[in-house]
Amino acid sequence: METAISAQGISKSFRERRFGPWKTVLSQVDLEVAPGAIFGVLGPNGAGKTTLISILATLLRPDQGRARVLGLDVVREAGRLRQRINLATGGAHFLWCLTAEENLRFYGRLYGLGGRALTAKVEGLLDLFQLADQRRVVFERLSTGLKQRLMLAKALINDPELLFMDEPTSGLDQEMAQHIREEILRLNRETGLTILLTTHNLREAEMLCSEVAFLKEGRLASRGSIAELQRRLGLGDHLSLVFRVAPAALEYARLPGVLTHRVQDARVDLVLDRAEVRLAAVLEAVSHGGGELAQVKLKPMDLEEIYREITH
Amino acid sequence: MKLPTSFQKIWAFSARSGLVNRRNVFAVFEMLFWPAIGIFSVGLLTRFLNLSGETVTFILIGAISMNTVQIAQLDLSYALLYSVWSKSLKHEFIAPIRLIHILLGCGLVGLIRGFLVFVGMAVLSVWLFHMELDRPGPGGLAVFLAGLFINAAIIGALVLALVLRFGQRAEVAAWSFSYLMLLLCGIYYPVSVLPAWAQALARFIPLTYFLEYFRHFYGFPLHSSRPLLYGFSLSMVYLLISYRLLHYTLRFAFRGGILLRLSE
Repeated sequence: METAISAQGISKSFRERRFGPWKTVLSQVDLEVAPGAIFGVLGPNGAGKTTLISILATLLRPDQGRARVLGLDVVREAGRLRQRINLATGGAHFLWCLTAEENLRFYGRLYGLGGRALTAKVEGLLDLFQLADQRRVVFERLSTGLKQRLMLAKALINDPELLFMDEPTSGLDQEMAQHIREEILRLNRETGLTILLTTHNLREAEMLCSEVAFLKEGRLASRGSIAELQRRLGLGDHLSLVFRVAPAALEYARLPGVLTHRVQDARVDLVLDRAEVRLAAVLEAVSHGGGELAQVKLKPMDLEEIYREITH
Repeated sequence: MKLPTSFQKIWAFSARSGLVNRRNVFAVFEMLFWPAIGIFSVGLLTRFLNLSGETVTFILIGAISMNTVQIAQLDLSYALLYSVWSKSLKHEFIAPIRLIHILLGCGLVGLIRGFLVFVGMAVLSVWLFHMELDRPGPGGLAVFLAGLFINAAIIGALVLALVLRFGQRAEVAAWSFSYLMLLLCGIYYPVSVLPAWAQALARFIPLTYFLEYFRHFYGFPLHSSRPLLYGFSLSMVYLLISYRLLHYTLRFAFRGGILLRLSE
């Protein structure tokens, strides 16, 4: 099956000021994204996430390398590609004096929609994102959450096959951010829409993305599913077992789901890939081994550990 | 370029410009207040100076032309500034649009607004200061109007190029470009009163020839034998240059990340 995104050797440099030195923002980045996936590009501020997404979305030309999105070259076939993609960004910005409906109509026309087709599309999106009651409210008077919903509605105005999302929940409160994430998941499940999103929120990536890639100083540092990365880096949930007396030796490494372990007197520290699945089996094994537990402590994995391990 | 699809894209920019103008109190001022003030102040000045009918017409033509060009070019000049101000530029350029859609869409609204200003000022001039607007006939009037709108389009396209290159800093160019041009092309006076170097510059401005052409119907001498030929030829050359320049700055914006910076 053809990949939705295929990029090889993408590099981009900018001058920080006119006649100033060049700064490399992306260096030899390769990327493959399968159709129907939600793929996350993660990294700290300045890692090159927005630059990468902008190149793939035809808004920026790479200095080196080639990228094909939906089988089309992002430079030479940008015009045809733009008809089939769209973009949603965090911190929604549209023309302040146009209403929610007028903004959607404007963007719909930019994709060649008109007449009944445009009206039906705009009405459908206003309903889908619960904006129908605010259709005549000018953009500057909408709340932050409603503005973001309008941004998502705009991003679907042309029924894109691939959607770029640049930190789609940044600046939103927890409740609204969660709502937007659920919308993204629903879109992906119901329509098979391929989504490439950037975020520096690992929880968001874990909830949404089937696969992620970490960017560090313009280079691709690591990629895989969150679970794969966790396994590769030996990171997971921390289970701490304190026995009344030092137990007989047990082969902790052979227990299912144990990534690493450390035994110190009557205390055993285990790192499990998924504690919610493994905990019962581990406790049962320990019990069979004859150990009498005085204390059990479980600390869920801190996703930031993955972030720290990869980006530092 | 598929016609129905392109029409929608052009209409998108026309409709947006129209809505912004309708909701912007300054746009109403631009179209009604300042042109009226212009006609009243210039007209009353000619009365105070006790000028003859032809001279009054000469000056009023200048006032009408200045306001018409100024208003007509604004919608084009602001086409991208609206997007820069609202930080939505990248959302427009990720859509499959071309420069021609923006130019035609916003240019159409500029043309309508410029025409309305021309008509309003002409009515005031005829009514209050007895200007004989009908002397050049419908043909002469239509040619003159076409000249004014082409000049407005050239200014608008140049300002758009500056916006794509320098962002909001180019905002001031939207106003100052046309005033500079109008100063040189003999808006309230014959080009012959300018210093020699300014006269030489004026010969490179198409509006100079259109003003000469229109004013010759009122008995003022022509300084060139074929003003319309020179005026339209220069206009076409400048239109072509400004369109190519705009294309180049857009390509540069895609390469240099300016579109993204202007969306932040």
